[in-house]
Amino acid sequence: MGGSGEKPQLIKEGKRLDGRAFDQLRPLKIEANVLKNAAGSAYLEWGNNKVLAAVFGPKEALPKHTQDPDKAVIKCRYSMAPFSSIEGHGRSGQNRRAIEISKVTREVFEKAVMLDYFPGNEIEIFIEILQSDGGTRVAGITAASVALASSGIPMYDLPYAVSVGKVGEDVILDLNMIEDNYSDADMPVAIAPRSNEVLLLQMDGSLTKEQFSKGMEYIKNAGKFISAEQRRALSAPYETSAAKYEGKQ
Amino acid sequence: MNRVVVPGEVLAEKPLRIDNSFVDGEKTVSSVLGMFDEQRMSLIPLEGLWYPRKGDSVIGVIDEARMSSYNVDLNAPYKGMIIAKFTKENLRRGDVVEALVRGIDDTKVVILSSPRRLSGGKVMDIKPSKVPRVIGKEKGMLKQLISGTKANIMVGMNGRIWIHGGDIKLATEAILKIEKEAHTSGLTERIRSMFPAGSAEEQTEQEGVPENKE
Repeated sequence: MGGSGEKPQLIKEGKRLDGRAFDQLRPLKIEANVLKNAAGSAYLEWGNNKVLAAVFGPKEALPKHTQDPDKAVIKCRYSMAPFSSIEGHGRSGQNRRAIEISKVTREVFEKAVMLDYFPGNEIEIFIEILQSDGGTRVAGITAASVALASSGIPMYDLPYAVSVGKVGEDVILDLNMIEDNYSDADMPVAIAPRSNEVLLLQMDGSLTKEQFSKGMEYIKNAGKFISAEQRRALSAPYETSAAKYEGKQ
Repeated sequence: MNRVVVPGEVLAEKPLRIDNSFVDGEKTVSSVLGMFDEQRMSLIPLEGLWYPRKGDSVIGVIDEARMSSYNVDLNAPYKGMIIAKFTKENLRRGDVVEALVRGIDDTKVVILSSPRRLSGGKVMDIKPSKVPRVIGKEKGMLKQLISGTKANIMVGMNGRIWIHGGDIKLATEAILKIEKEAHTSGLTERIRSMFPAGSAEEQTEQEGVPENKE
C-alpha cells in the first residue's frame, strides 16, 4: 500500500520476487545477550532486517507520576536508525509512525510480562532498527521478546510476530519492503504461542474472510519456526558452554 | 535430566507448585529462562531477579537517613527500609549494612531487621540468580573462596557481595568466574585451581606427610 509510480509485478509464475513460496519466511537468525549494559538484549536478522532490542529494569519508574502502585509499567521506544532505510526513515527522529509502533509494541508486552511482581517499577524496552526491509515492527517485537526473556523478567509467554499480506488475490507471508509498498493488503500479527492468543493485529488494505483465515494459518505455521529460533537463541549459550565443561571431565 | 526451558514452556501436564512457574488450567508453565530438573521437579532461573523472602540475609547501601527510618538500596526492584527504633546502629547515607528480611509490606517495601554496619572493604554486584552457586552446597564454595583469598566475604541474597581484607582482586576474579560459569558442573575444581597452591588449609594438611620422605 502507499507505493507510488508503476506497480511492479510481485508474483511471477507462482513465485515471489525473491523466489520464495507464498508461505515461506525469510531466513531468521537471533542472538541473545549481545549488550553488556542492558539487563537483557537481543540481535535479530530477518532477511535484510537488522534489529537490536534492549531491556532495562525493573527499576523505580521516573518521573514519579508514571508509577502504578499495583503493577510495573512498560515503556517502549521503537526507533529507526538514520541510516536504516533508503527512503529516509528515521532521519528526523521520532515521528508519528514510530510513536504508534512503540505503543502497539508496549501493548503486546503488557499482556505477556508478569507486571504484578514489580509495583511502582518500570521496564524499558528499546528497539532500534539498524537496517530495514519491510516488517520491522514484527521483527522488533520478536527481538524484544527474546531480550525480555534473557533479562530474567517473568513472563506468561514468549510472543512472536510476523506479517501477512495480499498481492492480487494471493495471500503471502512475511512481506519484504517492495511487497509491503505495493501489496493490496498488509497485516502484522503478534501471537502468544502457547494459547495462540492474538496480542497485536493491524491491517492496511482489505482481506476477505477466507484470505484472513488463510493468512492466520500461514502465521501459525511460521510461528512454530520463529518460536523455535527464539528458544534456540536463549538456550544455546547455556547448552554449548555446559557441554564444553562437561566434556572435559 | 536437566533441560533449558524458556518462558511459556510447559513443564508438566498437571498443576504443580514449582518455583518460577505458574499454573494455567491443567498445565504447569515456566515463567523464566531456567534449568528444569525433571526428577526433582525444580526450576532454577538462569537469569533473574531477587524476590525477597522472610529471613533472607541481604547487603544494602543506606540511601537516605530519616528521623525514624533508613531507606536502603538493595540493587533490586524493591526498596529496603530499616526502622530506626529497632536498631542501635547510628547509620549514615552511604554506609554498607548487612541485614535480615523481616517482612514485605503491601507496597512491596522490604522491611529489614538487625542491621550490622560493614566498614571498609569493597562491594560488588552479581546477578542474584547466581548467588546460590557462589555460596555452594553447605557453603563449600564460599569457604573455599575465603580460605583461598584470606578475605572476609559476605554474600547477600540480593546479589550484593562485600569483600574485606585479603586478596580482593583474586576474590573478585573468582566470583566473576563463578557468575559466568554458574550453570556448569565441576566449577569448584576450576575455582580451586585459581588460588595459589597450598592456600586451602585442607590441602596443606593432607600433603604435609608425604613431603617429609626425602
